[in-house]
Amino acid sequence: MRKNELERFNYGQRVVHWVVALSFLLLMFTGLAFSYPSLTWINTLLGGGAAARVIHPWAGIVFSVGLVFMFFMWVKSMFLNKGDREWLAAIKAYARHDRERIPPAGKYNGGQKIFFWLQILLGIFLLLSGIPLWFPEVYGSGLLVTMRFLHFVLALGAGLFLIIHVYLGTIAYPGTLGAMLWGSVTRGWARLHHPLWYKEKAGH
Amino acid sequence: MNLPANNLAIKRISASAEPATPGIREMPEIAKLVDISRCIGCKACEIACKEWNDLKVEPTYNFGSYQSHVDLSPDTWLLMRFNELEIDGNLNWFITKDACLHCEEPGCLYACPAEGAIVQYENGIVDFNQENCIGCQYCVAGCPFDIPRFSKETRRVYKCNMCIDRVEAGLEPACVKTCPTNAIAYGTKDDMLALADQKLTILNNRGFAKAAIYDPEGVGGTHMMYVVPHGDHLPDYGLPEKPVAQQGAMAALAVFKRIGAYMFGAGILATALHYLAVGPESPDSDNGGG
Ligand code: HEM
Ligand code: SF4
Repeated sequence: MRKNELERFNYGQRVVHWVVALSFLLLMFTGLAFSYPSLTWINTLLGGGAAARVIHPWAGIVFSVGLVFMFFMWVKSMFLNKGDREWLAAIKAYARHDRERIPPAGKYNGGQKIFFWLQILLGIFLLLSGIPLWFPEVYGSGLLVTMRFLHFVLALGAGLFLIIHVYLGTIAYPGTLGAMLWGSVTRGWARLHHPLWYKEKAGH
Repeated sequence: MNLPANNLAIKRISASAEPATPGIREMPEIAKLVDISRCIGCKACEIACKEWNDLKVEPTYNFGSYQSHVDLSPDTWLLMRFNELEIDGNLNWFITKDACLHCEEPGCLYACPAEGAIVQYENGIVDFNQENCIGCQYCVAGCPFDIPRFSKETRRVYKCNMCIDRVEAGLEPACVKTCPTNAIAYGTKDDMLALADQKLTILNNRGFAKAAIYDPEGVGGTHMMYVVPHGDHLPDYGLPEKPVAQQGAMAALAVFKRIGAYMFGAGILATALHYLAVGPESPDSDNGGG
C-alpha cells in the first residue's frame, strides 16, 4: 500500500493470487515441455524430465488448493450484474480504448469476472483430467487417451486466457500490476478503469 | 543364425517431430517363435534373461502355482505364466512366455511423450532408453499386453529388450540360446512365419484342431510370436484376442498439439499487435481528484 493510493487487494489476497499464478506458470512451462520435445530444455533447467514429471502434479495440487482460496475470497464480487453485461456488450470500445463508449465498471469489469469464472472452471477440469494422468497404471489406456486430449485442450485454453490476463495486468494498463504487488492503485487509475469502485472507495 | 551383426538402424523414435533418418541398408526383421506345446516349464529362459541382463534376484514364494514370480517387475523382464485349466475332464497347462512381444505397431512407443525414450529398430526390436524416460508411465497404459514395469526406485520404466546387445552382435537372445527343448526359435520374421506354419500342421496332426499362430494384426504383427495348442482359449493364455495400439488417437493428439502451438503463438502475436495498434492506456493525470 502506497501513500495517497487506494487499497485494491489486501496482503492475503495478493499472496493467494501469486501462489496460484506462480504454480500455474510452473505447470504451464513443464506442461509445454512435456507436450513439445523441442522445449525439453525447460524441464532440463528444472532438473530433468523425470524431476519435472514429479513436480508437475504436485504443482497442480498447490494450484488447486490456491484456486479454492481464490474462489472463496472473490466469488462474492464476481457475479455478473446488469452493468457488467453492458460493459461486455461494449467490449470492442474497451479494446479500442474508446473511453467515451466504455460503460463504467465496478471493482471488476465484466471481462475480469468472466476470466475469474473461466479459470475456476478450467482449474476444476484440469485437476479432474490430470489425476488419471498422474496414475496411468491404475486407469485403462482408453480413459488415458481421452484424458490426454482433454487435459491438453483445457491447458491450452487456460494458457490463452492467461496471455490476455498478463497483457492487461502489465503493459496494457500501466499501474495495474501495483495492485497485485503492493496492493494499491492511483486515484487516476481507479477513476479511469473502475469509476464505480472509485466513487464507492473515495466516498463521492 | 544368418543374421547380420550391427543390425540396429532406427525405424521409429517416440515423440519425435521428425521421423527417423531413412536407412539404405537392407536389414531383415527378426522374430522369436515360442512353441508353447514344446515348453516343459523348466524356466531356464527366466534365469538366462536375469543373468544376461544383470537383473536383480527377487525373493519368490509359493503362492499355489508352478509360476516363479507373481508378476513381471522392473527386475523381471520375462515370466513364464502357468494357468491350470480343465478341458473335457483333462487337466491342461496353459503356459505363456510373458515378455515384450516387440510389436510392429508398438502401443508403448506411440503413447510415449518423451523424445527418444522408446525406439524401434528396423529389425523389429522395441527398446526403452531410460536416460530419456521421464517416468510418466503412459507406455504402461499404452501397451495392450501390460508389459512395461515402472521402478519406484529409479522412476523409469523397464522391459525386455530382446537382448539387443546380443542381437546386435549377431547372436540369438539369451532365452532362445538356453531353451533345452528348442521351444523358442529365432530367425528372420519370414523364416519364423514359415516355421510356425509347419508347427501348426504338426499340432493339427497331433489332434490339436484349434491350434493357432499368435501374431496379432491389431499391433501390425509381433516380433515374438506364439504357436498355441488351444487357439480357442487365448484369454486363458493371458493373450488378448484383439490387441490394438491406438496409433490413430496418438496421431490425432499430435495434430492437436501442432494446432495448439500455433494458437499459442497467435495469441502472443495478437496481444503484441494490439499493443502496437492502441498502446498503453493510462489516466491523463495521476494526481487529480480525490
Ligand atoms: C504472471 C502471471 C500473472 C500476472 C502478472 C497477473 C497479474 C494480475 C493483476 C495485476 C491483477 C489485478 C487486476 C486488477 O487490479 O484489476 C490480477 C488479478 C487476478 N488474477 Fe492474475 N496474474 C497472473 C496470473 C494469474 C493466474 C494464473 C490466475 C488464475 C488461474 C490469475 C487469476 C486472477 C484473477 C481471478 C484476478 C482477479 C480478476 C481479474 O483481475 O481478472 N492470475 N492478476
Ligand atoms: S508388447 Fe507392449 S512394451 Fe512390447 S512393444 Fe508391444 S506395446 Fe511395447
